[in-house]
Amino acid sequence: MVRNVADRAFLPAKSLLEEVGDMMILTGKTLVSALRPPYPYGGEFVGQFLFALKLCWFPLVVSTIAFGYGAPGLQAANFLVLFGALDRLGGFFVLASIREFAPTVTAIVLAGVAGTAITADLGARKIREELDALQVLGVDPVKNLVVPRFLALMLVTGLFNIYALIFGVFGGVIATLVNGSSLGPFWATFFNNASVTDLWGSVLKTTIFGAIIAIVCCYKGMTASGGAEGVGRAVNQSVVIAFLGIFAFNYIFTQTLLATHPEILNLR
Amino acid sequence: MTWLAVPRDWLATFGEIVKFAGRVVGDVLRLRVLRFFGEALRQAGVLILSSTLVIWGLIFFIGLTVGIEAAYFNRSVGSPAYAGVFAAWADLRELIPYAFGYMMAAKVGTGIVAELGSMRISDEIDALEVMGISSIVFLCATRLAAAWLVLPFMYLAGIGAGFFASYLAVVQQIGEVSSGGYFLTFWMFQNPTDLLYSVIKGMTMATAIVLVGCYYGYNAGGGPVGVGTATAKSMVLNIVLVHLIGMIGTQLFWGANPRAPIGG
Repeated sequence: MVRNVADRAFLPAKSLLEEVGDMMILTGKTLVSALRPPYPYGGEFVGQFLFALKLCWFPLVVSTIAFGYGAPGLQAANFLVLFGALDRLGGFFVLASIREFAPTVTAIVLAGVAGTAITADLGARKIREELDALQVLGVDPVKNLVVPRFLALMLVTGLFNIYALIFGVFGGVIATLVNGSSLGPFWATFFNNASVTDLWGSVLKTTIFGAIIAIVCCYKGMTASGGAEGVGRAVNQSVVIAFLGIFAFNYIFTQTLLATHPEILNLR
Repeated sequence: MTWLAVPRDWLATFGEIVKFAGRVVGDVLRLRVLRFFGEALRQAGVLILSSTLVIWGLIFFIGLTVGIEAAYFNRSVGSPAYAGVFAAWADLRELIPYAFGYMMAAKVGTGIVAELGSMRISDEIDALEVMGISSIVFLCATRLAAAWLVLPFMYLAGIGAGFFASYLAVVQQIGEVSSGGYFLTFWMFQNPTDLLYSVIKGMTMATAIVLVGCYYGYNAGGGPVGVGTATAKSMVLNIVLVHLIGMIGTQLFWGANPRAPIGG
């Protein structure tokens, strides 16, 4: 009886912990085989990089402009107009765009667009037994499939962050223009408040987001099972886990960055 | 004119989705879905059991992040006692609808595509038609009805999770404002109308996500690989739609009127 209850309560938790542990092991294996020669993954790396670039640029432009115009743009402009201080919107955009929403929107789009495509691709290969065939041929799937995706997603997410940042600030520019104000004060407060620490924090954060997305999506793709439904389920689970991981990590990173670099907090 | 082919493709797909969505919504509104009310209730149960906790979980994480940003931002402008203003606006008006939309797209949207897609390629949908059951009503309209039954309540409770997380971060973690001072400004800067607007935003996103998921799942093809690519494609459209609905909602509800208890 007690055993039954304990099983019901802890078996789901146990399988969850096992899965997290497996992902950690995959991360370790990926890092080791990325560094250890030989390096056969150059071509695949370029291919995956271009693939993610081609797939994500358009959704990312639309998403960041919409988010930047709506959430921090309109709402903050509404608030500042009440005090007659619309020029402060530029300073607010350093906090809103660089520190928070450009990285998270980039991660959401990359996980939703490139991550799902990776899981669908690897999952289909897994259930057609292509991955097993590769192993029989003596080709290591981690080195030849996971490592290039891992590196490509890290690089592409970090670079896309800059791109998201530019278009996010563009959303703020539209919000300023809609309120009938000139752009000079916006840029003045923006560049007064922007700091190098904010920028590298943002890029570092998104690079790690890329690593989380790549590991989760590759793991879920490579362990897909159970036919067509299995691939669909793998894609579903990979997005959910990636989103939760991204936002949990975002909280910890923001907290650490803000607590260890108090100088970026001064609004000038 | 090859460069026109891609946008023309998008337009064609978009038109198809709108046509499909119109049919499903019509089936629900004309109450045809009541013939399969049991199935709708079963879908509602599936939604509650499998999706509630992850949606609340994501909203909770975002609420925590909003909380620390609110506390640090208000400290930097020299008014740490007013962190509640930032938290109230950012949580209720923007980030809780976005968090809800993201997790709906990830968990419910792709789940519907995976389920209906595998039914399609194993010919189960055709089998339904052969048995004389209208498959769109039975599979898609019941899911939409279930979403409309369950999600408003799930969303309201999610707002609670987000508010609780922001309170934890601002008052308990950073601790530069007392609990009473925080709640004074927090409740002063929102009212039931704002809550209603926020719910409308969230429900519009949820409806769009369920319909897109049904479309891609119902029209999947091409074997196991097809289900995977359909799932990935639905996610692209859902993310774009969530952001567009969020922006248009903000413009409509708060664009002309800040709805703040200050100024004249």
